[in-house]
Amino acid sequence: MFTILIASGLLAAAPERPLAIHADKARLADGKVLEDAWVVIEDGKISSVRSGGEAPEDSAVLRHTGWISSGLVALHAYAGTPRAELRDTTRTMLPEARIAWALDPARPEVADCLREGITSLLVTPARQSLVGGAGAVLKTAGGTIVSREAQLSLGFAAMSYVSNRYPTSFQAGLAELERLLEKPSGLLEKAKEGELPVLFEVSERSDVMRALAFAKQQELRGALSGAEWTGELAKSVKESGLSVVLPPIGLGEERRALRAVLSLAQEGVPFGFGLDAPLSHPASLRLAAALCVREGLAADQAWRALSSEAARIAGVEAQLGALAEGQQADVVLWSGDPLELTSSVQAVYVDGRRAYTAEGR
Amino acid sequence: MKTQWLLLSLVATASLARAGDDERKAWTILAEKIYTSTGRVIEKGMVQVNNGKIAQVTPSVEEGGAATELKVYAVTAGLIDASARLGVSLTSVEQSTEVQPHRRVAQAVDIFAPEFERVLAGGVTTVLVNPPDSNVIGGLGVALKTAGGDTLESRTVRADVALRGAIGSQPSGGNRPAFGRATDFFNRRPTTRMGVEWEWRKAFWDAAQVERDESKRFPGIERMQEALAGKLTVSIQAWTTQDIRTAVFLKEEMEREKLGSPRLVIDAAAEAWKEPQLLVRSKTGVVLPPFPALGRTGDGAFMAWNTAQLLHEKGVVVALSAHGAADLDERLAAQAGYAMRGGLSFEAALAAVTIHPARLFGLEERVGSLEVGKDADLVLWNGEPFEPTSRPIGVIVDGVLRVDPRPAPVD
Repeated sequence: MFTILIASGLLAAAPERPLAIHADKARLADGKVLEDAWVVIEDGKISSVRSGGEAPEDSAVLRHTGWISSGLVALHAYAGTPRAELRDTTRTMLPEARIAWALDPARPEVADCLREGITSLLVTPARQSLVGGAGAVLKTAGGTIVSREAQLSLGFAAMSYVSNRYPTSFQAGLAELERLLEKPSGLLEKAKEGELPVLFEVSERSDVMRALAFAKQQELRGALSGAEWTGELAKSVKESGLSVVLPPIGLGEERRALRAVLSLAQEGVPFGFGLDAPLSHPASLRLAAALCVREGLAADQAWRALSSEAARIAGVEAQLGALAEGQQADVVLWSGDPLELTSSVQAVYVDGRRAYTAEGR
Repeated sequence: MKTQWLLLSLVATASLARAGDDERKAWTILAEKIYTSTGRVIEKGMVQVNNGKIAQVTPSVEEGGAATELKVYAVTAGLIDASARLGVSLTSVEQSTEVQPHRRVAQAVDIFAPEFERVLAGGVTTVLVNPPDSNVIGGLGVALKTAGGDTLESRTVRADVALRGAIGSQPSGGNRPAFGRATDFFNRRPTTRMGVEWEWRKAFWDAAQVERDESKRFPGIERMQEALAGKLTVSIQAWTTQDIRTAVFLKEEMEREKLGSPRLVIDAAAEAWKEPQLLVRSKTGVVLPPFPALGRTGDGAFMAWNTAQLLHEKGVVVALSAHGAADLDERLAAQAGYAMRGGLSFEAALAAVTIHPARLFGLEERVGSLEVGKDADLVLWNGEPFEPTSRPIGVIVDGVLRVDPRPAPVD
C-alpha cells in the first residue's frame, strides 16, 4: 500500500521534481536488504539510495508499506514480437539478423511482464537456427530498446538443425560455424573480438560440452542457454568463463534440475533466469528463483540472478538491474519480500515513470 | 570408512562423477582366474592397479585385508564393443552429401547418453562409435571409454579410428529420383546398391587421380588418400554376401590397379560364413553383428550360430559386437557366450571381445588385454566369464571403480 503525500499530476507529467520513495525494506543489487530505505528518482534515474533520514527538500514523497527493488530482468524472452518473426525460416544462418527490427512493444504480453515486476526483457531469436542473429533488450513500458545488439545467438542443440536442409548434423554445423568465424564480419566479427557476447543455445549436456569446446577453440565469451542440467558440468563451465541462462523452472520440476542450479552457485558460475514468455507465464521468473531458494540457494544469489547478474549477462549492467545511484529508475514496489511468492507487485516505475499500479485495476 | 563406501557408490552410480586424480585409487584384485587375453591364464593371482594403469600381475595371492582389496572369481580386460551404435542420433548424420570422409562423428556423440552407463554395467569399457550408415561414406569413427570425465578428450581412446561407410541398401534408403516431383534434399543418387558401389569406386578413383587432375577434388578427399595408402582403416558395413563381395572386390581392385592397398574391416558381416576365403585372401578383418534369435540380421542377411567359429578356424580376425545393446540376452558378454555355443573356444571368444577389436582398430597400445602398462580397464566376474550363470559384478575404467563388486554396507 502506498500513499502519495504531496499529490498532483507530477508523477506522469513533471519530471523536474524529484520523487522520494520510502519503503520498509529494499533489495539491493547484491541481494542484501536495506532497512528504512529512501530511494530518490530524478530525471528518470535513481539519484540516491540510503537508509534513514528524510526526503530531500522539494521532492514528492511516496511512503510505501512494503519492499522496494529494482525491476526484474528476464533473459531469453520471446515477448514483444509475434512467434513467426523470431526466426527467418528460409535460412539457418543469419548472422546479421537483429530481433530489434521485429519488436512491437505494444503487444499485450509485454504488459503482462510489467505486471509481474519485470521491467526489462532480453528478447532472443528462436532456437531453431544455427546463427539466429542478435537479441535485444526491451523495456516493458515506454517502448525503449536499451540494446539492439545484446547477444549473438548460435545454435548448439539438436533443435537448431532441420532434417531436410544443410546442415543436418552437428559435424557439419560446427564446420559451418568455424568457417563463418574464420573471416568474420559484422556481428560475427564483434563476437569474435569479444565485443558482443554469444548466446550458446543448448539443450542436452552433450550440447553444453560441444559449446564449451567451441567457445574455447574460438575464444568466445557469453552464456550457455537452455540446458537444465548445465550445472552437472559446473566445473567445466567455470573454467570456460561463460555464464548460464537457465531454462524456465516450474512447479513439478525434477529436483535434479534444481540441484544443478545449486552446483552452478557452488562453483561460482554466474547465472540468470530465462523466461521464454509468452511460452511460460511471466510470474514463472520469480517462481523459478523461489524454487531455487527452497532447494537451498542463498536468497541474495537468487536475487542477483533476477536482476544485476541478468543485466550483466545482457550487457546492460551499467544502465539497469540494480537499485543504485546512476541507474535507470526501473523500480518495483512490493507488498513484501520479492523472493516470497506471497508478495505481490503494488506498483512499477520504468524510467522514473509510474507504468503500473495494482490499485484501480 | 563409511564415507569411502559412500564415495564409491556415488562414483558407481552417478554418471556426473568426474574422474579426478583423487579417485584413481590403487586397487588390488584377488582372483581365482586371471584371463589376460594374451593366451595366458593365471590361477589364484593378483592384479594391481595404480594411477589408472595396470601396475602388476602376480601369479600368487597375498591377502592384506585392505579396503582397496577386491576379491572375485575371475578378472578379464575390459570388453570392447567393436560396433556400438551409442550416443548417436538424427543430428549425427549429415544428409546433404553421400560422401563425406572428413566428417567426425565424435562431434555429434552424446557421451552423457544413459546407454553408456548401461553397457558399462555389462562389462564394456571401450566402444567404437561410427557415423550412422545413412551415407555411403559417412566419415570418421571414434573409440571411446564408457566412463570418464565430461569432455570428449577425457573419453577418447583414439580419434579418427576408421573411415566408415556402408555397402548395401541402407545408404540409398530414403533417396529418390527427381523425375516428376518437387526437387528436395533427397532427390539424388544413389537409389540402388549399384549407385552405392559407384560412389565408393568414384571416391577412391578420384582420390588416386586428384594429384594429376585437380577437378577430381572434393571435401575430405585427403582422408580417402590416407585410406588408399593403408594409413586409415576402412570400416565398411556389409551384411549380405553380395555386399561383402563388393567391399572386398573394391579393395582388390585398388590393389590390382596399383592405386593403393586399403586396410579393410567389414562390420556387420553376417554372411561372411558363405565365402570365408574372400576374407582370408584379402586379409580382411570382420566384426560380426549380434547373433539373431531367428537367424535374420540386417539387410535380410542370415547369420548362423557357428559363423564366428568358422571364420576363426579359417584364420580370419573376428570381433564380436552387441551394437551397443545392454539387455542381459543381447549384451556383449552374451554374444561371446553365443559364439561359444556355436563352437568357438573360450579363449577365442574372449579375444573377439577384447584384443581382436583392439588390433583391428589400432587400440592395442592402450586396451584389449590384461597386461602391465595398459589402461586399468577391468571386468570382475562372479564365475566363468560368458557362462549364462555368470555376470560382471565389478567394472574398473582407467583405474576408477565404476561398478563396485562388494555388497552395499548395511547400517
